[in-house]
Amino acid sequence: MASVALSEAEKVYIVHGVQEDLRVDGRGCDDYRCVEVETDVVSNTSGSARVKMGHTDILVGVKAEMGTPKLEKPNEGYLEFFVDCSANATPEFEGRGGDDLGTEIANTLYRIFNNKSSVDLKSLCVSPREHCWILYVDVLLLECGGNLFDAISIAVKAALFNTRIPRVRVLEDEEGSKDIELSDDPYDCIRLSVENVPCIVTLCKIGYRHVVDATLQEEACSLASLLVSVTSKGVVTCMRKVGKGSLDPESIFEMMETGKRVGKVLHTSLQSILHKEESLGPKRQKVGFLG
Amino acid sequence: MPGDHRRIRGPEESQPPQLYAADEDEAPAARDPTRLRPVYARAGLLSQAKGSAYLEAGGTKVLCAVSGPRQAEGGERGGGPAGAGGEAPAALRGRLLCDFRRAPFAGRRRRAPPGGGEERELALALQEALEPAVRLGRYPRAQLEVSALLLEDGGSALAAALTAAALALADAGVEMYDLVVGCGLSRAPGPAPTWLLDPTRLEEERAAAGLTVALMPVLNQVAGLLGSGEGGPTESWAEAVRLGLEGCQRLYPVLQQCLVRAARRRDASTAPS
Repeated sequence: MASVALSEAEKVYIVHGVQEDLRVDGRGCDDYRCVEVETDVVSNTSGSARVKMGHTDILVGVKAEMGTPKLEKPNEGYLEFFVDCSANATPEFEGRGGDDLGTEIANTLYRIFNNKSSVDLKSLCVSPREHCWILYVDVLLLECGGNLFDAISIAVKAALFNTRIPRVRVLEDEEGSKDIELSDDPYDCIRLSVENVPCIVTLCKIGYRHVVDATLQEEACSLASLLVSVTSKGVVTCMRKVGKGSLDPESIFEMMETGKRVGKVLHTSLQSILHKEESLGPKRQKVGFLG
Repeated sequence: MPGDHRRIRGPEESQPPQLYAADEDEAPAARDPTRLRPVYARAGLLSQAKGSAYLEAGGTKVLCAVSGPRQAEGGERGGGPAGAGGEAPAALRGRLLCDFRRAPFAGRRRRAPPGGGEERELALALQEALEPAVRLGRYPRAQLEVSALLLEDGGSALAAALTAAALALADAGVEMYDLVVGCGLSRAPGPAPTWLLDPTRLEEERAAAGLTVALMPVLNQVAGLLGSGEGGPTESWAEAVRLGLEGCQRLYPVLQQCLVRAARRRDASTAPS
């Protein structure tokens, strides 16, 4: 993660403020920064989204390609995640520097989607054992301003909501050879249901309290964080302790409760924003990268 | 190359026949959800490593070796205030490099090393769980290398590797605040099943959710936590964490005994007779 040099006095200032539920930018301990989400920003993908949260900027592109299903799960398609920490984000990511962080984030994404209810994989199957849709979700870190996991999971959810997979039909010849036919109408596509796609909430332990959506400076004051992945119904799909400190068992239970509460609110606001953007239709003004 | 008619070329990819077999209906036997499998732990068995440990729990066999402290590569210059107890300032603290490897014959299917993302993830989990326990400030500009090798996966492999790594670090004489004890849990699919402590491989394969907890027993601090799956609401996960912490506390005396025996063995071998 990008590091920021903080003096002892600044750390003490941040820690004391958090004890009083007052953070440096005036937020409370459970408040998120202002999040900007925009979908359909890249035209060559099946779905894309861009999320800006303070100084953190994430771009996700989803491409749907046809492939063979995995042997253990012949009736399902699957998702492949790739995270690229670009050198623009911070100079530490130059060359191979960002690879470790990229694999860590990709592994976390695999973990949170590793259950039956997050994405309906059976709808991605075209013909069992032979053809299925593989969704390649590529995450690009444009700018690193703290709280990467949350922003990435919001962007992935928005991109999956925006994904349009072309509808195909499998035609069988008399000899038994199968042919895949794409429908002629470019707008005839299937959409994924993102009702149960989870979002990650990272809770950083600072002093005796925990904060949601930490900035880089706050992350430097925190020794341990708990990463909880929550769905809109409050079901937890992944839990992970991050950082080089240890956590008290009682604070873990408190953090889980906060994570669930904050996660539910995050999901309702994200859903409403995505539906509102969708309802604006093709006439909406795209802000893109210059706004 | 002209046609090679003498060699019989097999298929490029091979799979074990079990994948094509009809589903075996053997459900894992019902058992007490809080039972811990008997553990065999031995420290100080590798001659070439500074510290080592072997842990066997049910069918899971893990071997762990620690080497170092040796000079860290790519050291950065740093000043800053020294920590309490004469420790090095933050920028000069030692590093812990963890490596987790699966033997190719460890699981049901042969997995050629390097195993890809999963091994890196587990190595990172090992590092995050061991760092709170090791006094890295006492090893400035040095690095400690911990490498865990999973010989056979019989369920809760990460938990066994965590415990073995902590034993190996203690055996190497590395300064630590406390031992780290790991415990695995899993939850079967279904409407309202209970969490099972220390699952076997069969229970883990059929599980809807799995969790590994690492605890520092004397300080009562959770050093590591990694879980995923359809665990249900937060109350269910909280119950699982509590069960795991209890399991870790029950395992602690066995590890203490193991270290005491290893120390006696070392004394006996170096004592002038």
